[in-house]
Amino acid sequence: MHNELAALINKNISSANAKVNIAADAKTDSSITVDTGSIHAVAKFLRTNAEMPFNVLQCVSGVDYMDRMEVCYMLANFDPNAPRQVILKVTLTDRVAPVVDSVVDIYAAANFQEREVYDMFGITFKNHPDHRRILCPDDWEGFPLRKDYVYPKNYNGMEVFPDNKMNFEDREFIVRQDMIKKAQEASSTKQ
Amino acid sequence: MQSRWDVGEPEKATVNKETEQLKSELLRLNMGPQHPATHGVLRIEIWTDSEIVAHAIPHLGYLHRCMEKHAENLDYRGVIPFVDRLDYLASMNMEWGYAMAIEKMLGTEVPRRAELLRILTGELQRIGSHLMAFGTYALDLGAFTPFLYAFEEREKILRLFEEVSGARLLYNYIWIGGLWNDWTDEQLARVSNFCDTMEEEAKKYHDLVSMNRIFVQRTANVGIMSVQDCFDYGATGPILRGAGYKWDLRKNMPYSLYNEFEFDVPVGTGEVGVPGDCWNRYIVRMKEVVESIKIIRQVLTKLEPGPIMGKVPKIIKLPEGEIYARSECPRGELGFHLVSKADAKTPYRLKVKSPCFTHTSMLPHVAPGQMIADFVATVGSIDIVLGEVDR
Repeated sequence: MHNELAALINKNISSANAKVNIAADAKTDSSITVDTGSIHAVAKFLRTNAEMPFNVLQCVSGVDYMDRMEVCYMLANFDPNAPRQVILKVTLTDRVAPVVDSVVDIYAAANFQEREVYDMFGITFKNHPDHRRILCPDDWEGFPLRKDYVYPKNYNGMEVFPDNKMNFEDREFIVRQDMIKKAQEASSTKQ
Repeated sequence: MQSRWDVGEPEKATVNKETEQLKSELLRLNMGPQHPATHGVLRIEIWTDSEIVAHAIPHLGYLHRCMEKHAENLDYRGVIPFVDRLDYLASMNMEWGYAMAIEKMLGTEVPRRAELLRILTGELQRIGSHLMAFGTYALDLGAFTPFLYAFEEREKILRLFEEVSGARLLYNYIWIGGLWNDWTDEQLARVSNFCDTMEEEAKKYHDLVSMNRIFVQRTANVGIMSVQDCFDYGATGPILRGAGYKWDLRKNMPYSLYNEFEFDVPVGTGEVGVPGDCWNRYIVRMKEVVESIKIIRQVLTKLEPGPIMGKVPKIIKLPEGEIYARSECPRGELGFHLVSKADAKTPYRLKVKSPCFTHTSMLPHVAPGQMIADFVATVGSIDIVLGEVDR
């Protein structure tokens, strides 16, 4: 299915450059990667075409791979005669200020989903009608699901996990866990 | 789609000075986060023109724990208790969805008895969750008694779950590869009894609430979400079926052993009101309870003794790749997007597609033009669980 779909996209949208990432085995899912600039056109095509339509956007997810970022669109077709689902991806090489076109005008479901991806990964969606954080507070700094996220030491002048307020038993537990971990590492390096 | 502050200019009356002074301004009203009708900590900023809602803006995140970040630091088994806390009224279904994603990537075969018992627990949980929806929805609309009726039956389900899993709300019962504990014959006999009484009770609820004149007037033709709206916003579950579209993953893309079972997919037909309104969403849930009973009865006839745990390595390591696994939960379709790295003991990325999050995004669309009381009925009818919305 993925190869046919990629061929269909390439035939109709020349700038899409759709590539299929074939899964190694049946255990994992294949996906289709398209060029970042063409996502709006591709989404529009996938929703409206007659051959292989996808009438529902289930969710938008981001993945941070340290050297690049990916935005995954889970598309599905809610038709009892032809149920199908596909993972559509775009790759963003710029991790500092990643930008991708919004698809809200095609799938209204993308509104909250894209806001969540912005909230968690700092990926900006161009032409989004309501571009702001959704789950974190408005004054939150940083983007929590990035792999290089540093946990804040202060929030609004309050110290996070102050030593004098920490549960002593919990702290003991953490210390003990650290000791066990170190011992395990030491024993594994010896072998 | 309205932005946060774009509330529109009030229409200017230019007849004379007096009416000009009477120009109405929109009133900003906070519903929640501590409001009994918002089912938890949902805050909705409503702009009202007297009793009519002009805009509704949901503010989420009061229950945000960033469960997805937690999952990145836990091994694959350790995520299950966190998954429980997503939709705390349907923990079994949440665990099941997650376990299915891992099992598919692992290539584990789940024993037949475990699969059947998963269906049993999943459907019992669906009944429990729909009973909660039924009770709290009637409570939202001012009827207190149905809540007590619903909890009486729900208690029986919770007792059973408590016996098999040791917990009443957050079970950690469905494990990767199978189940934690087996059901005894005595417990299964009680399930059978429960099915009988529940069937009678469902009729009683129907007499008590469904055709109640006040209930019908509060819910019929209120908060209409059409099939097209549902596709646009990606709504699933009772919302989509209440709009009259026959779509159920258990039927259309069967997972587990659902293709062996015979059951109907109830849809909103508009016998009262129109398809897609609050009443039809409500009645779909009540009919699903009856269908779940059918499934449970079939499970009980199919059950045979056998193992309940498949072969799972002691330390789970998944092959490199990704998966998007969907399952049908009481509130709609739950999806897990899991990205794994080779030789890693923890998920690289776990994204939860939660049905309630999707349904919350429909509120700004249906709210304009509703009365405030009708808006409360609409919020109640999508059966929101904030643990899942905020994750």
